[in-house]
Amino acid sequence: MSPFEIGMASFGTMVVMVYFGLWVPIALMLSSFVGVWMIKGSPVLAGKLLALAASETISSYFFGVVPLFIMMGFIVSVTGMGRDAFDVANHVFRRIRGGLGIGTVGANAIFAAITGISIASAAVFTRIAVPEMTRHGYNKRFAVGVVAGSSVLGMLIPPSLLLILYGLLTEQSVGDLFIAGVIPGLLLAFVFCLSIFLVALIKPSLIGDKIDLKANDEDVLSTREVMSKGLPLTALIGLVLGGIYGGFFTPIEAGAIGCSGAIVIGLIRRALSFSDFREVLTDTGLVTASISFLIIAAQMYSRMLALSGVPAGFGNFVATAEIGYWGVILAYVLLVILMGTILDSSSIMLILVPLMLPVLALMQVDLIWFGIVTIIAVEIGLLTPPFGISVFVIKSSLDDPTITLGDIFIGAAPFAVLMLIVLGLVLAFPSLVTALL
Amino acid sequence: MYDTHLPKWFLSFRSVVDMLTNLLNVLGTLLIVAVMLLVNADVIGRVFFSAPISGVPEIVSMSIVAIVFLQVAQAFRKGRLTRTEAVLDFFEKRTPRFRQVLELMFSFAAIALIWQLFWASQPLFMKAWVRGTYEGTVGDFTAPIWPVKLIILIGCAALLVQLTLHAGTAAFRLFAKNGTQT
Repeated sequence: MSPFEIGMASFGTMVVMVYFGLWVPIALMLSSFVGVWMIKGSPVLAGKLLALAASETISSYFFGVVPLFIMMGFIVSVTGMGRDAFDVANHVFRRIRGGLGIGTVGANAIFAAITGISIASAAVFTRIAVPEMTRHGYNKRFAVGVVAGSSVLGMLIPPSLLLILYGLLTEQSVGDLFIAGVIPGLLLAFVFCLSIFLVALIKPSLIGDKIDLKANDEDVLSTREVMSKGLPLTALIGLVLGGIYGGFFTPIEAGAIGCSGAIVIGLIRRALSFSDFREVLTDTGLVTASISFLIIAAQMYSRMLALSGVPAGFGNFVATAEIGYWGVILAYVLLVILMGTILDSSSIMLILVPLMLPVLALMQVDLIWFGIVTIIAVEIGLLTPPFGISVFVIKSSLDDPTITLGDIFIGAAPFAVLMLIVLGLVLAFPSLVTALL
Repeated sequence: MYDTHLPKWFLSFRSVVDMLTNLLNVLGTLLIVAVMLLVNADVIGRVFFSAPISGVPEIVSMSIVAIVFLQVAQAFRKGRLTRTEAVLDFFEKRTPRFRQVLELMFSFAAIALIWQLFWASQPLFMKAWVRGTYEGTVGDFTAPIWPVKLIILIGCAALLVQLTLHAGTAAFRLFAKNGTQT
C-alpha cells in the first residue's frame, strides 16, 4: 500500500472505532501508531513518535490556559454568579413579552463572558431558569429549550475552551480568536431574543398557555440590588477580557487572575465552601486531563497524516475537483454537523481540522474566520439527537421526571435552526468575525 | 455499581489501586493550584513591585505535562476519557454480552498502545536523568526536566493498571454465570 492509502485506511478505521465506542484519544493514537508503523516499516520509530508527542505537545506556556479557564468556569458556577446574571437580565427585560425567556438568553450571554464551557452554563441555568419559567406559566419544553439553546453561547462568547483548543491546534492567537467570537456570539444571542419576542407576540401559545405578565413585577430590583448583583460580574468580565484586550495580561495570566478574582468574590459572599472548592478542583483536574490527552492524541494523528500525505492529496483533489471554495466550505460544515449528532465538540474539531488545514492554506482561507465557523457548526451538535451533550446535562440536572430527553430535544430544535441561520450569516458576511480584529 | 459477581480478591486489589490513582489525582490538583498562585504572584510582582518572578513560563509548561499525566488514570477511571456510548448502549440493550466483548477488545487495544508509549518514553527519562538536561537559561532560572519525564512514566503505568482493571471487569461480566448482567 502507498502511504496515501495507509493514511486513508487508518483514518477510516479510526472513525469506525470511535463510533463503536473506543476512547477517542486511544483511537487517534492507535491509528497514528499503526499508520506510522506501516508507512515507515518500523514499530520502534512509531513508538518514538508517540513518546515525543506525549512529552512535547502540551509542554508549552500557552497550554496553561486550559486548566485555568476550566477552573474559573467551575468556580463561577458554584458561587451563585449565574443567579446574579439571571436576576439582572430579568430586571432589564421584565417589561418585554416573553421576558423570562429573553432574560435567560441574556443571563447566559453575561455568564458566557466569565465561563468558557457550555455544559457549565447548561447545568447552572437548568437549576435557576427552568423552575422560574415554569412557575410563570411557560411550558416546560420551551423552558428547557431556551436553556439548551442559549448554553451554546458559552463556547462562542469569550473566554471559550473550544476557541482555545482551536487556537492551539491551528497556531492562531487565542486573543484574536476571543475577539472574533464577540460579534457572532452577541448576534446569536440577539437572534434568540428576537425570535422569542416575535413568537411571544404572534403565537404566545407556543411558549406557554398562561404566561402571567403581571407576575414579572415581583422581580423588580432596587437600584442597589442591581448594583450589588451586577458589580461582581462586571468586575470579573472587565478584569479577564479587559485585561486580555488591553494587553495587560497574556491569556494565561488572565485565566489565573480570573480564578483568584472568582475565588475572592465567592469568599466575600460566603458562597464558596471548602467542599465546593475541592469539588471544583477535582473536576478541573479531570476535565484538563481528558482535554489535554485528546490534544496529545490529535498531535500524533496530524503528524501521521502529514507523513502519509493524505491532507496534501486531499488538497490537490479539492483543487482539481472544481467543487470550488464554497463547495469545500459547505461540505465541511455539513460534515461537522453530521458528526456532531454522535461525537462531542472537541473530538470533531481534533479529527477534522488537521485534515482541513492544508486545503485551507491552499485556498487562503482566513483561519480565524474558519475557527468561528467551526465552533458554531460544532455547537449545533450539542443540541441534536441522538447525542447532544447540553441536552444530557440538562436532563441530569433536572429534578423533574415528567420532562423527557425527547422533550428537551424538541424544545432545543428551534434554537438549533436559529444557529444554522447565524452560521449562514457568518458564512455570507465574514466581516462579522473580522470587524473587531 | 454492578459489582455483585466480581470476585473478592479482584475488588480488594481494585480498591488499593484506586487509592493510589486517587493520590496521583490529588497531587495533580495541587499542582494546578500551585500554577494558578504562581502566575498570580508573577503578575502582582510585575505590576506592583516591578519584580516579575523568573522562570514562570518554563515552570508552567513543565507543570502542565505533569498535571495531565498525574490525572489521566483517574480521568479514565471516572469515565471522563472522551468516548461515544451511543452504539455501545444500543448493544447493551440487545446483546449485553457483545458490549462486554467490545469493551474487552478496546481495553486490550488501549493496553497495547499505552504499553508502547510507556516503553518509548523510558529512553526520554533516562536521557534527562543521565545528562541532567534542564529548562530555562543558565544564570536566570533552570529546572531539571527529569521529574516531568518520570511523571509521564508514572502516569502511563497508572493508566495501564486502570485499563487492566477495566478489561478484568469486562471479562468477569462476560463469563458470569447465566449471563445475568444486572
